[in-house]
Amino acid sequence: MTEQILAALRQLGISVYQLEEDRAESLECFYIRKNLDLKRRTDVTGIRVTVYRDFEKDGKKMRGSSTVQIHPGMNAEEIWDVLAGAYRVAALVSNPWYELPAGQKEEPVRSRSGLAERSPEENMRLITEALFAPDRYGDVFLNSAEVFVRKNFRHIVNSSGVDVAYEVCDLWGEYVVQCVEPQDVESYHQFSYRDMETEALQKDVEEALEMTRARALAVSAPASGTYTLLLSGQNVKTVLDYYLGRANTSMVYQKFSDYAEGVAVQGERIEGDALTIELKAKDPYSPEGIPMQDRLLMEKGVLRTLHGGARSGWYLGIRPTGTYRSIAVPVGETPLEQLKEGPCLHVVSFSDFQMNELTGHFGGEIRLAFLYENGTVTPLTGGSVNGSLMEVQGHMTFSKERYRSADYEGPFAVRLQGVQVAGA
Amino acid sequence: MKVLESPFIAENKPLLKKLLDRLLEQYPYASVLAKDSRARRYRVSARDVMAGEDPMLVSRGFVVRVSKDGQYAEYSFNSISEEELDGICARIREIAECAARVLPDGLAANDYCPPSEEKTVFSGSTEYETDPEDLGDDAILSYLTGLKDQGLAQSEALLDCIVQCNYQKYTSLFLSRDRDLVQNVMWFNGALGMAAARGQEVKMYARSYSMLGGAELLKEMEQGVKECAAVTLELLDSQPIPPGEYECVCTPEVTGMIVHEAFGHGVEMDMFVKKRALAERYVGQYVASKLVTMHDGASSAAESATYFFDDEGTMAHDTVVIEKGVLKTGISDLQSALTLGSEPTGNGRRESWRRKAYTRMTNTWFEGGESTPEEMIASIPYGFLLENPRSGMEDPKNWGIQCMVNIAREIRDGRLTGRIFSPIVLTGYVPDLLKSISMMSKKVSLGGGGYCGKGHKEWVKVSDGGPYIKAKIRLG
Repeated sequence: MTEQILAALRQLGISVYQLEEDRAESLECFYIRKNLDLKRRTDVTGIRVTVYRDFEKDGKKMRGSSTVQIHPGMNAEEIWDVLAGAYRVAALVSNPWYELPAGQKEEPVRSRSGLAERSPEENMRLITEALFAPDRYGDVFLNSAEVFVRKNFRHIVNSSGVDVAYEVCDLWGEYVVQCVEPQDVESYHQFSYRDMETEALQKDVEEALEMTRARALAVSAPASGTYTLLLSGQNVKTVLDYYLGRANTSMVYQKFSDYAEGVAVQGERIEGDALTIELKAKDPYSPEGIPMQDRLLMEKGVLRTLHGGARSGWYLGIRPTGTYRSIAVPVGETPLEQLKEGPCLHVVSFSDFQMNELTGHFGGEIRLAFLYENGTVTPLTGGSVNGSLMEVQGHMTFSKERYRSADYEGPFAVRLQGVQVAGA
Repeated sequence: MKVLESPFIAENKPLLKKLLDRLLEQYPYASVLAKDSRARRYRVSARDVMAGEDPMLVSRGFVVRVSKDGQYAEYSFNSISEEELDGICARIREIAECAARVLPDGLAANDYCPPSEEKTVFSGSTEYETDPEDLGDDAILSYLTGLKDQGLAQSEALLDCIVQCNYQKYTSLFLSRDRDLVQNVMWFNGALGMAAARGQEVKMYARSYSMLGGAELLKEMEQGVKECAAVTLELLDSQPIPPGEYECVCTPEVTGMIVHEAFGHGVEMDMFVKKRALAERYVGQYVASKLVTMHDGASSAAESATYFFDDEGTMAHDTVVIEKGVLKTGISDLQSALTLGSEPTGNGRRESWRRKAYTRMTNTWFEGGESTPEEMIASIPYGFLLENPRSGMEDPKNWGIQCMVNIAREIRDGRLTGRIFSPIVLTGYVPDLLKSISMMSKKVSLGGGGYCGKGHKEWVKVSDGGPYIKAKIRLG
């Protein structure tokens, strides 16, 4: 079908284009308690084509674009019609001219994951075994789970010579843990791996069971007030997403962020830990075919890299890097136990912890927290956190302990001073 | 005018029937859902223009469901031809028979009876005044550009004005032994957002517009430009709210978010099957003020989540979930109804044909009351008018509330003082909030500009709303 599309583009006189072809297959299993409730398989293929059109407007060179989906089974006439329509629309999209990433034909990058060597069914059996292995207590158990084993082959071609392909094998899922005594509560968890990480999953499930058991003991909300707040696990990544989002060239181009390389984005006065963040390349290429590699985002609070796609990068005069979603952060020097020294509110679980990259506000409803105060530890639930990173970023302290997830590797916990909590 | 059937679906129907007939020879239950969705989006801002297909919504494909030995299996695919039928049937057999190969020791498979269906043949279309495809990309972009220019002209302090719209026009076909259903549906959404900076902080205010219909919605957006600019600039003077429980008046948009997030998710009956919903224990009991009557259903309102039948071939319902404060029933997909011995309510929805069906809300709303918003504000000695919902998260197990709103306007001695607070987190216990509702406005409105997730995925179009309500709410 790719050849058919390229032929149609030539016939239509479309000389600037990009094709993204995906061939994805998955095996999916849905469990209620320890019973398989539904199994699914998917085989999905498709090609997204972006056509570009150059024109002048008010004496300026413009480049419009429009993206369409070519579905399997479309005949030559349908493909022609869809591409011709997109080319007409591209003439209406008045964006300043920019350059597409250039490249050459590269060898496809095959997945080196152990997942690629086994059948989807075998991968499903192994990860399911790991998921349910810690479920052996009775008072606390896996209420339900969804497990997805996936393989995707992506091929990216553009008119500037890019011709790259790569394969991704991964498995991901979610599970709900329930504890019925002394009160009936639950907690929600996700996992995502690019290899068969059965030990990591078992450890996470063990911790989730323990955490849910603790939530069953929590009955009241913290008192309203200003707290020293301890956040941990994936919530640390959510806080740091502020810097990742603000450092995107698209945010800078739209003037929603004033980040620039060399700027002290953590503030001029850092009395806590100065942040160093590395951007981690999870895929070999960006969706535009830009080779992805690990890069330094921030060094001791100072921005070193703006990241993003071709268009906004070109407008800012920055070589495009592709957009990054994964980061690594060096661990801090303070042990977790020291960070908990009270009074301190450690929020272990939120219903949905959010960071607003435009305002720097973070917050969410507290599902489980521990209040460390006067040598006692009190489990709490309810109320909400509403903080501003801009106000607390100069006083962050990171733990010595490490945490790793699909998109984050770094300190397990961060301590923030003076955060508002609405409670009982 | 009525939305027309997709030629792709019509052309492939004989082949899909042939596939179904082959499957029914092997399985006691088999169904085929085919969906062809055309969707476009347009976005204009100070520095960007975008027009083209909406990648989240454009799709064309099929999902087959079969029942074998009491177990359900599904196969999603998007390529079909006469020559491919053998391969498709082989892959369905493979997934239907894979349980023994994927299940480790200690796990088993659930056992279901195949559903019994009444014989139903249906064909229906929603209506519209202006087909966006006839109006054309040029006219839509020109209109949005005009609104953007009007927006930016309101104040030099505005950083950006983002105007966007999108629509989905789809045909779905559902075939089983006893069902032959086809529907053609179109909805149209718009949004107007403006941004202004206060130092490093970028404050944003957005209004959304929605309807079951076509591009006739566009003309409604024009009326929002001045208000959107004014509120964005007001936000520059906003402050954090002192945490506490307050008497509040919620606009219909905020009411909608409370209806949807705080209560709607808790009555999705796949959560009853998993024993994840507290609501299951409260059927027949008071869970809200006697003023509250709550509906959900694809046929309960004409909005973005309206359809004639769901993704499992169940006809749309108008379900009264709460009647005068008493919880009457939940909403259900087909498989949950089979487990619970209840009737499915037409709420079995998929993000797309690629995904599993779950119990999902559709148009979810409270009926109105007898008051006016002015009377409600006048009745409050000190409290807040809550506006502009941003997001929410469900907690069906424990009926906790997490809703984020952009604006709380201070009310003192029955009048708005002009002070505003932002951002705001609403928390609390659902029945406490619903039982505290003491006034409701006559006027009811619904908005369908958003999507709803199940957990953190499975996005489907929904609408929600209701009247202005007065309630006690914990804010932080």
